[in-house]
Amino acid sequence: MDVGTLTQQIVNALTLGAIYALIALGYTMVYGIIELINFAHGDVFMVGSFVSLWLLADFLGFRGPINNPLQLVGILVFAFVFSMGVMGVVGVLIERFAYRRLRNAPRLAPLITAIGVSFILQNVIQIWRGPAQLNSPQLIDVQAGFYLGSAFVHWISIFVITLAIGLMIGLQLFVSKTRMGRAMRSTALDREAAQLMGVDINTTIAVTFFIGSALAGAAGVVQGLYYGYTFFQIGFQAGLKAFTAAVLGGIGNTTGAALGGFTIGFIEVFASQAGYTSWSEAIVFTILILVLVFRPTGLLGQRVVERA
Amino acid sequence: MKPKALAIFAVVALVGSACSNATSSPSGSAAGNTAVKIGVELPLSGGEAPNGGPTLNGIKLAIQQIQVPGYTVTLNTQDDAVNGVNNPDQGAKNIGTLVSDKAVFAVVGPFNSAVAKAEIPISNEAGLIQCSPANTNSTLTLGDTAKQLRQAHPDKIAYVRVVANDDYQGLADATIAFKDLSKKAMYIVDDQTTYGKYLADVVETQFKKMGGTVVKHDGAGTNVSDYTSLLTAAKALNPDVVFYGGVTSTGGGVLRKQMVANGMGGLPFIGGDGISDGAASVASSFLNIAGDQGDIGTWMTVAGAHDIPDRATLAAAYKTAFNAELGAYSAAAYACTQVYLQALKAVGPDREKIRAYVTTTTNSFDTVLGKIGFDANGDINQHIISYFQFDPTTKDWKFVRQNDPTAA
Amino acid sequence: MSALRQLRNSLFAGLKPVSGPTGNYLHAHQSLSVVFGMALTATLLPFIILLPPFSGFATQPDWVQGFASAGIFVLLALGLNVVVGLAGLLDLGYAAFFAIGAYSYAYGASPFSGVHLPFWPLLLVGALVAAVFGLLLGAPTLRLRGDYLAIVTLGFGEIVPVVFRNANTYTNGINGIGGMYRPALPVYGTFLGLDPVPYYITVVALVTVAMILLYRIQDSRLGRAWMAIREDELAAASMGINTVTTKLLAFAIGASTAGLAGVFYASKVTIISPDSFLFAVSFTILAMVVLGGMGNVWGVAAGAFVVYEIQSEFLKQLNGFVATLGLPAVNIGFLTIDISKVDFLQYQFLLYGLALVGMMLLRPEGLFPSRRRQAELHDADDADAANQELVEA
Repeated sequence: MDVGTLTQQIVNALTLGAIYALIALGYTMVYGIIELINFAHGDVFMVGSFVSLWLLADFLGFRGPINNPLQLVGILVFAFVFSMGVMGVVGVLIERFAYRRLRNAPRLAPLITAIGVSFILQNVIQIWRGPAQLNSPQLIDVQAGFYLGSAFVHWISIFVITLAIGLMIGLQLFVSKTRMGRAMRSTALDREAAQLMGVDINTTIAVTFFIGSALAGAAGVVQGLYYGYTFFQIGFQAGLKAFTAAVLGGIGNTTGAALGGFTIGFIEVFASQAGYTSWSEAIVFTILILVLVFRPTGLLGQRVVERA
Repeated sequence: MKPKALAIFAVVALVGSACSNATSSPSGSAAGNTAVKIGVELPLSGGEAPNGGPTLNGIKLAIQQIQVPGYTVTLNTQDDAVNGVNNPDQGAKNIGTLVSDKAVFAVVGPFNSAVAKAEIPISNEAGLIQCSPANTNSTLTLGDTAKQLRQAHPDKIAYVRVVANDDYQGLADATIAFKDLSKKAMYIVDDQTTYGKYLADVVETQFKKMGGTVVKHDGAGTNVSDYTSLLTAAKALNPDVVFYGGVTSTGGGVLRKQMVANGMGGLPFIGGDGISDGAASVASSFLNIAGDQGDIGTWMTVAGAHDIPDRATLAAAYKTAFNAELGAYSAAAYACTQVYLQALKAVGPDREKIRAYVTTTTNSFDTVLGKIGFDANGDINQHIISYFQFDPTTKDWKFVRQNDPTAA
Repeated sequence: MSALRQLRNSLFAGLKPVSGPTGNYLHAHQSLSVVFGMALTATLLPFIILLPPFSGFATQPDWVQGFASAGIFVLLALGLNVVVGLAGLLDLGYAAFFAIGAYSYAYGASPFSGVHLPFWPLLLVGALVAAVFGLLLGAPTLRLRGDYLAIVTLGFGEIVPVVFRNANTYTNGINGIGGMYRPALPVYGTFLGLDPVPYYITVVALVTVAMILLYRIQDSRLGRAWMAIREDELAAASMGINTVTTKLLAFAIGASTAGLAGVFYASKVTIISPDSFLFAVSFTILAMVVLGGMGNVWGVAAGAFVVYEIQSEFLKQLNGFVATLGLPAVNIGFLTIDISKVDFLQYQFLLYGLALVGMMLLRPEGLFPSRRRQAELHDADDADAANQELVEA
């Protein structure tokens, strides 16, 4: 493998990893605060890509790259804000109607509900837009880029990586500096104590879901921009891999989720390079199992997994 | 529990009384005519409807246009798509349903090779003949694998098809690359399905036999959506042509689109009949997903004759009846039906007689595909592959030529 | 291992009357009633469907064919019930054991492997092989909490089909293994694909045996240990229950039932491929268990049967029924809802999803609950309500 290919694959890995990281953040935040694996989260990502598809292609009528930089930036900002907002609301609604009642129920109940929600989301989208792949307008010209040595780096990759890192930094700042962030951290640490201290648990949890789902929504927009297509089943696989990323990094730990996302991206890309594409799913899940068995706290090992 | 049980029973009774056996149309009775049925086993719902629908229409057109004196022919239609996807278990069940309908003397279908694998054991056991308008997988008729499927009666053929199998189609695809386009280094991707993988393997063997090299052969399963890493790796090996074994829904269009994004859009792209699903204006077709730039330089093959003797007449009749263009397999389904109707005329509606008549290699049938017959394995004796190239002016596939690739 | 001894004792316990948490009865009495109940149901079913509403849907052979297939799902649901319902371990990759059972049969009786062993011993072999894999899966999950356990089992459920798909030399990859030999009986001969009766009788027998064994185990020490772990693992451990062996046995026994179903399935369809064992199958079985009533053996069996029949017969008929009603399309804003064009078969999984969510919110113990489970689940609700009042006060 020459340097050019290596550089290219690294960029590919970072881009793919950025998408996984964005989705993984939602998993890790929700798990941190209510100890629920939100199975439906991968499908929130998928719905996000359909929302952005509807906005850009059906509502605004775009078909291809936008050349005017000002217009491009404006539309992108609008698309992201819109999709993130819509998915955030969807996440809050899911929590309110499907999970809230089951907060204190035996572990099985919310898990099963989450799977049910996942299937509901998939099927609603399938009924709305059909079961086949749909083209998504790629507003940023995917062929535009620059040479880095012998490797050709696309602008869209730079965009995706920067966006993801930016959102993650924004999240970190929010969680560590704001009052709501403090409320989230305290609820994650000890829900009852937080309640006693006057934290409004319901709102805090709702905000957590909002942010997590918004990030998945952002990943959905990226899916449309970077890959140029979407379809109703992309949520399941992406969700599982993102969850692996969250566990790998340390569930409950936002930096860990980001790290895990990039790691999974690298594993997948270099498995393809080596010719093991068809095994990549199995590889990722084996890693998941190994991490859970041998180092359940993940790479950055913050939250300790209780012995049941 | 009691009121609940009563409610359930009431609903069931209501549903049951309101519907009759919706699958078979009432048999008309012209005086003295025997009512017989042709069974139809195709995917008709969800994502497969655009494939199965036009095929079914071909059959309907045939029974509409062709009369067999003494018989009134109707259809018993079964759908093997579950949740929008071809489902072999459902297919097997449907064949069972068709077998138990005594009026059915022959079946047209299925569409998908994996479904056929589940169905052949049953139709073989029942001695009910199936004619597929679309299955191309060679293992259904050739070799030990085919014999294993015919477990009940290994030497009795109850499955024929009117399209050439993938051994021919793969050869044709390799020919396009090596002879038409003069390319020497091929990169192959298959979607890891029965159809896609077999076809890709045949293309690899044939291309190498002709003197070309295969720089890489990747199996990217149905769940792969990110081909960039694969393409980056392949690009470094400098291929000059790409072949895709698979269908659009498992990633054909996405692969081509990402080729463009990764600077490989200049390489010609060849696929089999799996990417033959309509013009660029048809949503979710290969040409649509691949995008305007991706469409340029694409070729595909169809395992059957496109330029058939009376195509224009057939197309016009089809349009009058269904207000749509002829589907990719409509003519083939029409031909299957013609074979059955000619057999019906010759030997009557007894299943075994029909089966024997159709599979007798010396018999030939006049169909829209020309004069055809079936060989000892059930394959059509006319091994014609049609070649198509993308035409940027019409934004659709353009017919280039058709031939028997072994003779070319 | 004392757990195994417990198991053996419970299975072969004599006719001692027992007073257990689910009532007073004789072991033998219950087993007999299961046999009678199953025999009665199995004999009546092929005739009930000759009556008006059902006779319009399909012919009798088709119905019986459907029952034989439903039986497979009943077995699977019974097995998953052990893991999810009795022991409270959420297994999302259950289809993997189903696949292992089916491929075991393929290695034992197909031209691919060149071996032709009789069907009946292969049933046991399939069950055993699957049980071994159940142990292999269970072992690493012992220390994991509910959520992580679910994910690991899901991962396993994804890995197994991928392995089968890629290990071409051993499993024939995506093409699957075909031409498997059908079961044969000494006097009767080989089963036929078109005659559903022998398969039907076989599956009824398998289900009956499974139900008897499961009832026995449920009422044994092992069964009670499972229920204790389900409610509170820490408390159970401190009461002296060996959580390791108990959990492992849950996985093993659950998996063995799936292995049994897998062998039967393979012998019936004669061709299997990795694509028949994907997550959708695991999800369907889970839906059956949840809807039927987690923890209740006959409830789960009934639930599985009903769900399967709805899926394979009624949804299809619902399409025809609604089409004949001829309801007009309704316009709400920019959405047009045309009921007569709705394909209910396509909505199958949507309905499952809605049913799962609805059940979990309203009636998590299922449609036919075990009283114990119902008490367990609604106790939590009452405690929660009490806590809420305290906090708000």
